[in-house]
Amino acid sequence: MVKLLAPGGSLAMACTAIDEGADVVYVGPLGFSRRPYESEMNDADIKSAIAYAHANGRELLVVLNTFPSPFELPRFLAKAQLFAGYGAAGFVITDIGALAALRRLLPETALHVSIGSGISNARDTEFYRALGADTIILPYRWDVAEIAAARAISNIALEVFLFETVQTGKICPGKCIMSSYLRFREWLQVEQQDSFHGSANRGAKECYRVCQAAWQFGPSDAPPIDLRLRRDARLMLEQLPRFIAEGVTCFKLSGRERPLPMIRDLVRFYRKAIDSVQGGAVNLDHYAEELAELRARWVREKSKRVDTLMDRAASYAA
Amino acid sequence: MFELSTDACNIKKLRDGDFSAYNAIYLGDFSCPEYPQNFSSNANKLKEGLELVKSRGQKAYLRLYAVPSNHDMPWVLDLIDAALELSFDAFEVHNLGLLRVLQEKKSTVPVHLGVFGNLYTHETAKLLKEYGVTRVYPNPELSLKEISYIADNSPIDVLLPVHGKIPLVISETCFIMEHTDNSKPCANGVCSFPCLEDHWLKRGRDDGSLNDWSLKDTGRMTLSGKDMCLVEHADMLVAEGFTAFYVQNKGEADDYAGRVGAIYRAALERAFAGQKDADCTPWLTELGALSQEGLCNGYYFEGAGQRYIGRN
Repeated sequence: MVKLLAPGGSLAMACTAIDEGADVVYVGPLGFSRRPYESEMNDADIKSAIAYAHANGRELLVVLNTFPSPFELPRFLAKAQLFAGYGAAGFVITDIGALAALRRLLPETALHVSIGSGISNARDTEFYRALGADTIILPYRWDVAEIAAARAISNIALEVFLFETVQTGKICPGKCIMSSYLRFREWLQVEQQDSFHGSANRGAKECYRVCQAAWQFGPSDAPPIDLRLRRDARLMLEQLPRFIAEGVTCFKLSGRERPLPMIRDLVRFYRKAIDSVQGGAVNLDHYAEELAELRARWVREKSKRVDTLMDRAASYAA
Repeated sequence: MFELSTDACNIKKLRDGDFSAYNAIYLGDFSCPEYPQNFSSNANKLKEGLELVKSRGQKAYLRLYAVPSNHDMPWVLDLIDAALELSFDAFEVHNLGLLRVLQEKKSTVPVHLGVFGNLYTHETAKLLKEYGVTRVYPNPELSLKEISYIADNSPIDVLLPVHGKIPLVISETCFIMEHTDNSKPCANGVCSFPCLEDHWLKRGRDDGSLNDWSLKDTGRMTLSGKDMCLVEHADMLVAEGFTAFYVQNKGEADDYAGRVGAIYRAALERAFAGQKDADCTPWLTELGALSQEGLCNGYYFEGAGQRYIGRN
């Protein structure tokens, strides 16, 4: 069975995603999931979300995809044990040391490898499988050839974002620390703890999307050109039948930081589409108009979000 | 007593630069296989580079391509096979898939984890030891306090970058080629190596100046605009027990490694001899002059990477 994974940026969003047909929702605890405050959840809300998922016959994954500081590793692992005790089905992990430690501590839990692992070839998937990972999310840019190569080399389950690539450019996340080189927020003043040094990779909560800023580029002695470092992937659909045929078992919708109505509508849309493919459909053209409207909404929301983050960055000292 | 190392991407760089201050050289450019005569992608150049380094009494470490795709794997494996026939002192590996490859080949060559290997904790260091990793390049975001803890609580060495631009992001495609004027040769997919000329990314202020954000771009890798510098803190690094130090040389002029290396050789020898509180002013002046955008400390003192904090 192919699963639809949906974001729970808040308890309300998690419950809505379940109501709309997500098989699994994923949520991030404060400080451990690369998102700002408003898109992470406190422990009590995570417990409630797990209970809601169970009551509806669904599952919940907890995102622990930061690279922890060596000093916070015990707290990181204790958090995982706490959520496992609440009934979390598994975890989304990036750091290989943490992943191996969790496999030892929680032998029955499901371990998903986060996009932050920055894999680039099929041998990487094999590495994570050998560490004890159950599922790995594939980079946006991968298509059926890469999926087939990963399937041929390892029996790790494959998860794919519901995006298609429209770009080359910088690898992100997992291989980028530009944001914290340029700006850094003093989290000690905000949280009474200072374990968030560095980028969102480390739990600093805010990647300022410096790649989306207006940059000028060129050699020192020539007039610069105006550009952005990368463009975003866009919502995808037509690939679903062939990805499922190649053995993809999970489709992941990102967007914990998006407005709840947007996630509600996207989960509803992709639930329909996945059910349709599992029912035998190979042509999804009849969804084109609905997809176009959702894509436009997605881009509008993204733009607002980037503006907010850039404004925040500007307000912090260098 | 200590090891000071740097990098040289090809035989020309190795011949033209002054590497006499260094104990070891990382050979190759791990970010761009297309770079001219790159040791990381030209198996036929390995022997010549290795012999030149060895003739100078230095150790030679070979850098492997950091982000190989499935498509790259055949030539990367050929390069590894060629290198295994030679006597490199270590391979630098950034990609976890390549750790599997080396393990399968039963390679006994020590492995150094590269900067894009994402080493953040001592637990990860312990795990990597099982893959033959003997030294790690900590992620640049780590503070000195965290790096010291990792060094004290893991069974492998820690390489401490002490000077040069900080690798911030890597890409499988060339950013310079993608944004080159269509009239130039490399716009058609044939690289004419525009990266041999410095390229900068700058973000301006509202007043039109371009002094707000600045990064250096070498095509497939973006580096900090400022040069990370720890020369003022050499005493502390020695007191913390570090013994392997590195100067980042990728994308720099031919005289950079020599001039920076001489300064750090002197500063570290003085620090290891217990001569504390050296006057760093002349060194800082020269290092500052070598850096277009000024100096920073990276993340070592728990702040934004481009900040600089002096000894006092």
